[in-house]
Amino acid sequence: MLEVKNVDVSYGDIQALWDVSLTARDEEIVALVGSNGAGKTTVLKTITGVLKPAKGSVTIYGVRSDTIPAHKVVDLGVSLVPEGRRLFRDMTVLENLEIGGYIGRARSAKNQNLRWISKVFPILEQRFYQLAGTLSGGEQQMLAIARSLMSDPKTLLVDELSLGLAPLIVKNIYKTLKEINAARKMTVIVVEQNVRLALEIGDRAYILENGRIAGEGKGSDLLNSEQVKKAYLAMK
Amino acid sequence: MLHFAQIFSYGLISGALYGLVALGLSLVFGVMNYLIVAHGALIMMAAYITFWAFFYLKIDPFLFIVLVTPAFFVIGWILFKILFQSLMGFPEGEKIKNSLLISFGLLLVFSNMATLFWTADERAVSTAYTGKVFDLFGVRLPYIGLGGVALAIIVIIALHFFLTRTYFGKAIRAVSLDHEAATLMGINVNRVCLVAFSLGFALAGIPGVLTSLHAFNPVVSFELTNKALIVLILAGFGSIKGVLIGGLLLGAIEAVGVYVMGTPYREVFGLILFVLFLMFRPQGLAGKKA
Repeated sequence: MLEVKNVDVSYGDIQALWDVSLTARDEEIVALVGSNGAGKTTVLKTITGVLKPAKGSVTIYGVRSDTIPAHKVVDLGVSLVPEGRRLFRDMTVLENLEIGGYIGRARSAKNQNLRWISKVFPILEQRFYQLAGTLSGGEQQMLAIARSLMSDPKTLLVDELSLGLAPLIVKNIYKTLKEINAARKMTVIVVEQNVRLALEIGDRAYILENGRIAGEGKGSDLLNSEQVKKAYLAMK
Repeated sequence: MLHFAQIFSYGLISGALYGLVALGLSLVFGVMNYLIVAHGALIMMAAYITFWAFFYLKIDPFLFIVLVTPAFFVIGWILFKILFQSLMGFPEGEKIKNSLLISFGLLLVFSNMATLFWTADERAVSTAYTGKVFDLFGVRLPYIGLGGVALAIIVIIALHFFLTRTYFGKAIRAVSLDHEAATLMGINVNRVCLVAFSLGFALAGIPGVLTSLHAFNPVVSFELTNKALIVLILAGFGSIKGVLIGGLLLGAIEAVGVYVMGTPYREVFGLILFVLFLMFRPQGLAGKKA
């Protein structure tokens, strides 16, 4: 269980989040939706410890993550697939995966995890010795997810997966994420600008507006709510 | 023809040393955007320490490598904690400028310290094998020079293997590509930078030993930094692979230039090469965008 409680987060003098609270229960897919600049990425960066909240707390499986250095948060079982993929472009696919499994517990399970990932994303296995920067957009996104999976997380955070990808590829990758969620009993938190897509995927969803939580509920309920239809789906 | 081959082989021998000289600078710059212009001074200090070890304790300079290298690793560790750690959070451009200022200060401090301790007189370690040459079809190759070339090749290959085959080496490369993404993978970026920085200092040990085998004085710190910066541009900023090639290129061009134009112009060729590369191939030999 992952719990964000009443956090305020600022970039220098500019406050980005106000009193944000959200929970992700085990094995759940939670969607975080909102328009550009609403603070979705900021929430993920706060969970992973890259940003520290000025107020409030983040608890991951019972451990406070907002008080420890960012590089130790991975050890708690959380891994982020960052926006824009942020691959190590001048390293090979295999090296990217090895760095993904850098932490101690993942190193001993390296071969096992590699076999699993080759099954989930067969295309990556053919590309192991290619530089990550030479992959196509869809393959890069798969690699970014695979890299995060190498640390054997209990919760996977996925930021703007659909960015710059063809709709069909996006659909396939989301399908794979759902399978991982089911097969591995992995909690998944997705941040997505494509509100319809996110609400279809998510068991539950939070709506973020101007740095505040503006609504929450079951994905299917929100999809049919007047608030969402009007603001995000351009339906009257 | 034989004369030319002789000149050219001397050029390659100096070139291998230039590659070693630039290696530490290149590693540190590549990983964390610190431009440590004091690198030449570190090499000079290593050369003087090697000189002392030989003069007082009769330790063979090539054997002394195993002592001077870890010693400089420790010095790097301490100086990072005192002077350079605070720059870690700065934006990229500020890191370059501030590290350059601090390390230029260090360069002055070290050169003046050397003048104080060892005076401005020329020193050199002269071992039993100094001046001995290996005759290859009439081309005379000094054993010391050959040792330098061998060391350059061994060190660069070893560093390459460390960076591509070990977890920590890969972590260093990951950090050099993207600090934040590396943090997200559970890499302690501060620690990796501390080790890479100290490793950069340690890499001043071997060129220091090689420098001590020829006549040198405190001014050599500026000359070596100058060479290192030229090689850095030729190799491409932060490229380890390009460093040996860049060094050899500089050595060869210098030697041929001296052959054609005469010794007084020795330093000119490197600087012309430097300017030409900045104008026409700023990404360096390795070919990546700087």
